[in-house]
Amino acid sequence: MKILVAIKQVPERDAQIHVASDGRWIDESDLNYTINEPDAYALEEALQLKEKNGSGEVVVVCAGPERVTSTLREALAKGADRAIHIEADDLGERDTLGVAQILADAVKAEAPDLILTGLQSDDLGLGQTGVVLAELLGMPHATIIMQVEVTGSGLKVKRELEDGWFQHVEMPLPALLTIQSGGNKLRYATLMGIKKAKTKETKTVQVTAAAAGPAIRLERVYLPEKQKKTEMLTGTPTEVAAKIVEKLKFEVRVI
Amino acid sequence: MSGVLVLMEQRGGNWNRMSFEALAAGQQLSAKLGVACSAVVIGSGMDALSAELSQKKLDKVFAVDHALLKDYTADGYVVALEQLVKQADPAFVVLPHTYQVRDFAPALATRFGQVLISDVIAVHDGPVFVRQLLQGKLNADYRQTATGSCFVSVQAGTFRADAVETGTAVIEAFAPKLEATQIRNKPGELFRESAQTVDLSAAPVIVSVGRGIGEQENIGIVEELAAALGAELAASRPICDNGWLPMERQVGSSGQTVSPKLYLAVGISGAIQHLVGMKGSKAVIAINKDENAPIFEVADYGVVGDLFEVVPALTKAVLAAKG
Amino acid sequence: MVDGLLVAAVGTRYAGSMLFSELQVSATLAEPEHFSWLEVGLLLACIVASGALFFWRFGPILRNIFNSKKDADFSLHPIGRRVRDFVWEVLCQAKVIKQRPLPGLAHAFVFWGFLAFALVSLNHLANGVRLGFLSPASYIGGFYFLFAAAWALLVAVSIFGLFVRRFFVRPVWLGKKISYESGFIAFLIFLLMVTYLAAFFVDEGSGAVKALWWTHTLALLVFLPLIPHTKHLHLVLSPLTIFLKRDGFSKIPPLAGDEDFGLVAGRDVTQLISLQAYSCVECGRCTEHCPASTTGKALNPKEIILGMRSYLNEFGPASDSPLLVEAAEESPDNPPAKYMSMEAVFECTTCGSCEYQCPVGIQHVPIIIGLRRGVTNTGAWEDTYGTKLFLALEKNGNALGLSATERDKFIQKQGFPIFDGTQEYCLWLGCMGGYDPKGREIIADFARVMNYLGTTFGVLKKEKCTGDPARRLGNDLVFQTMAEFGLKTLETAKVQKIVAICPHCVRTISNDWREYGIAPEIEHHSEFMARYKDRLPKQSSGESIVYHDPCYLGRYQDIYEEPREIVAMAGKLVEAPRSHERSFCCGAGGGLAFLGEEKGERVSHVRAAELAGTGAQVVGTACPFCNTMFRDALSSVSEAPPQLLDIAQLTARALPAVVQPETPVQ
Repeated sequence: MKILVAIKQVPERDAQIHVASDGRWIDESDLNYTINEPDAYALEEALQLKEKNGSGEVVVVCAGPERVTSTLREALAKGADRAIHIEADDLGERDTLGVAQILADAVKAEAPDLILTGLQSDDLGLGQTGVVLAELLGMPHATIIMQVEVTGSGLKVKRELEDGWFQHVEMPLPALLTIQSGGNKLRYATLMGIKKAKTKETKTVQVTAAAAGPAIRLERVYLPEKQKKTEMLTGTPTEVAAKIVEKLKFEVRVI
Repeated sequence: MSGVLVLMEQRGGNWNRMSFEALAAGQQLSAKLGVACSAVVIGSGMDALSAELSQKKLDKVFAVDHALLKDYTADGYVVALEQLVKQADPAFVVLPHTYQVRDFAPALATRFGQVLISDVIAVHDGPVFVRQLLQGKLNADYRQTATGSCFVSVQAGTFRADAVETGTAVIEAFAPKLEATQIRNKPGELFRESAQTVDLSAAPVIVSVGRGIGEQENIGIVEELAAALGAELAASRPICDNGWLPMERQVGSSGQTVSPKLYLAVGISGAIQHLVGMKGSKAVIAINKDENAPIFEVADYGVVGDLFEVVPALTKAVLAAKG
Repeated sequence: MVDGLLVAAVGTRYAGSMLFSELQVSATLAEPEHFSWLEVGLLLACIVASGALFFWRFGPILRNIFNSKKDADFSLHPIGRRVRDFVWEVLCQAKVIKQRPLPGLAHAFVFWGFLAFALVSLNHLANGVRLGFLSPASYIGGFYFLFAAAWALLVAVSIFGLFVRRFFVRPVWLGKKISYESGFIAFLIFLLMVTYLAAFFVDEGSGAVKALWWTHTLALLVFLPLIPHTKHLHLVLSPLTIFLKRDGFSKIPPLAGDEDFGLVAGRDVTQLISLQAYSCVECGRCTEHCPASTTGKALNPKEIILGMRSYLNEFGPASDSPLLVEAAEESPDNPPAKYMSMEAVFECTTCGSCEYQCPVGIQHVPIIIGLRRGVTNTGAWEDTYGTKLFLALEKNGNALGLSATERDKFIQKQGFPIFDGTQEYCLWLGCMGGYDPKGREIIADFARVMNYLGTTFGVLKKEKCTGDPARRLGNDLVFQTMAEFGLKTLETAKVQKIVAICPHCVRTISNDWREYGIAPEIEHHSEFMARYKDRLPKQSSGESIVYHDPCYLGRYQDIYEEPREIVAMAGKLVEAPRSHERSFCCGAGGGLAFLGEEKGERVSHVRAAELAGTGAQVVGTACPFCNTMFRDALSSVSEAPPQLLDIAQLTARALPAVVQPETPVQ
């Protein structure tokens, strides 16, 4: 079974974020990049499926400038067999549909049995690229998947719903799944993996079509007005209890 | 192309509460733009729900009804709603940002060459839609640049469901053209995980007790609070080490890592080994008699006080609020 | 000088003869006068047989050692150190005696007697082929034989004592199994001495002389082939082992090339490791002081070494068979498998007690880390907490998995200046100092001390973990990333001097980072404060403070006195029963602070009980990990636990209340 994993390289979670001078995006000069965490879980799921099956191929694909090759190398080090780098310097000008389109173009030739990707990205967090990609490729899809099982007729997946509910869904192959974080235990990159990665193939493809006008545009970014501050609640125990209940009702929304 | 169309979500004949927040959003947007607002209910046997919606201040209530839409499938919803949206031709399609919407709405938008502006936390004049980036570190203003329907999903809690205006609306039945072969996925029954072992990582609310509780017999007051909140009980390491609570309830570097909606830390100082286990919590409320306890640095709300007084009072207040 | 020796020799001879004449015995050794050619032939045959049997076993051992992988980083230099260690540890038997005085002295006598007997034995056999070169009648010979007799007496008494100890007293560390081979060897040695001494008491020319001679000879020739078959191989190997020891305590060799991931299989075992595995005397000193072994864990350092030896005997140094099995229960009947398990190997805190104690020069810690490397670098080790730790280091750059912004917040709150090249010191926070609430208290107090002394310092804007836990757990990829990042950061910031509160940081930066570059000089805050102790206020609290030597400060860096000087200024210094190089680990090292639940008794509780048991009012620590481990442990083992304070906190409490730097730096 050929499994394709679409991964995204995003700024490190701990990175100090500064808004760029034009206010349209963040200042990328001092940033370190890493794999989008939900995509890391998608990769882990793909590797485990391959190991469970005993055979197959895991291909990682990532679109972006030169710097994304490091993330592709890490994916190879964790056990992916091949990597495809879609060279694109203008991702900022593309919207989800635009990105999904270039992924679809690169993926069509591979004709994978299964495409996995994280349910959303740590930077933009729109959570749609996977579903849009499935739609463009005409594949069935399922989202926020915790477990994947290969059956005789296709797949049986466990889908996460709100409030602790789950659902199994049976699907035919080929299909696309967006994977939820935490379903599997991630593996760490090993020295052996890094050394092996040097011998694995990374193919670079160019973007064939120019970016069509995006449907939506990110106009500007800015710091949110409220910073996280600890609000101390004071008063008698009864007063404090009432204040807490109000927070639970309207801010935290658990009552 | 005009008007606002709000997509309501139901399952098995019961509303997903978030739908009414989206409805409020849709009504407010349409009021600002001076256009009509309509709602869509989709499923099979939607009469009762449509009737309920017709009591809201809306132009129309579209009842998209088809036997194949009884259980949710992405294919079913996308095919049916594509037809509806084509007919209704709204300027804006407003959806609640639910798990289900995340599953089908992007595909639906793609069919119109649009991109869903998802998980919106505010709507400003323009309209400009505000979203959060980088795990809430930044806000971003989004605007539609293409022509055609603009798809928007609204984050939970952004609008208040009780702000929905009442009125009257016309119910318009809509029978989509849908073949069984178009639906590729086969959904199963919904289920909950069997609670044999304590899986704190799935608990939405956790009440956690630490050394401040003093004696084993005092844990009862925290257990009552947990029961009142419908929360799982957890503890910091010393409590489990003493055997006062089983090891599987330990939260921390050598226990479980949790990220509930609410983490209520009672009598927990906030040692690093504990913090690393709960730092992912969406909201943290801490009760500790030491104002310098490190737990207050990660808490959203803090109470410096005697837990033996605050906790029972809180339990009483919670039970009263729940009615 | 020669005259003096001659006088001494003659004097001894006469003294000896007078002594013996008192006992009415001959003052000379009675030797057989004549050997028939048959006897010569027999003797030669026996010698050949003995030699053949010796080499039949020793040959493969030598082959295993030589066929093992070459140690990539080995160098004979500095040779002076090697010679010094050799003289001290081998010739003077210093470690043997120091660690277990009475049995150690007995063994030393046996060893020295063995050396003294060298010429005797040689001459004895030479006699048998009519080539004897030492005559009892000559002055030299006479003196020498009496000299050897004195030793024979000492050896006989010693070996008898050791025999009683092993078979009747039965110390735990020698193992439960009765070692028949040890008993037999002890018997042979005793026999050799007795037959030698008896030769002084029999008449020349009597039949007893020949009988004694042949008994002695056969004992010798039976002993010889037994050497490579038993742990007495150390007779041959251990002087070499001690001489060739890897230079440096717990020195972890660098990986050699792209195919080297550590000790995965036999083919990775190096010559030094093979040599050390075959040198083990099974004395159990390593196990006796191992925190894991003494708290009921599967780890037993002696058995790791013996397991390595068994592996080499069974599979050889070219084998691809993995060295470790996964769980200790996998092959309970097969000792090497039982002890050479992943489970056991990951229970090591790398405290170094084993390596420190070993009298034959075995270096346990690099072997255990090598075994860990073999399964971590290849991904074979799948441990939830280990993986979490490595991912935390990869993603967040600190071992706790917290956002780096937490450290930034702490720095801001404390008002620490950022290092900009103008300050004298860079204060290295470390993971504990930067993120742990108690570690932060230590940093805050140490900063107050530095401000009081007027020492300028700054903290790095961005600091990642030194990589110590990854290094000790065998993850070279993560370690390399951390080390290279750290070296680059320090170089870019133009740091010249570093001070840190954590011995792990100090050791890793000053020693382990060398594999990737040279770091600026770094010292532990105890060294810093001790240097300025005359300027720091003394307290007359009179509180009794028991000081706990951290493994990574004591055994690893030989820093024992400086922290004690600090403690003595703050109160009355009390020593724990096990202190200095015998200090008992707190249990956090080797990455274990970040791994899951401990099995069996908690190491930290054992040590906490020991410290609290001294009755001291305060426990003084010099390592934030020890501090964290004892925090909960002390309240668990004691109703009214002693206070727990780092040496920085002990010092800071005597400082005036508000200590601000002269100019607050942004």
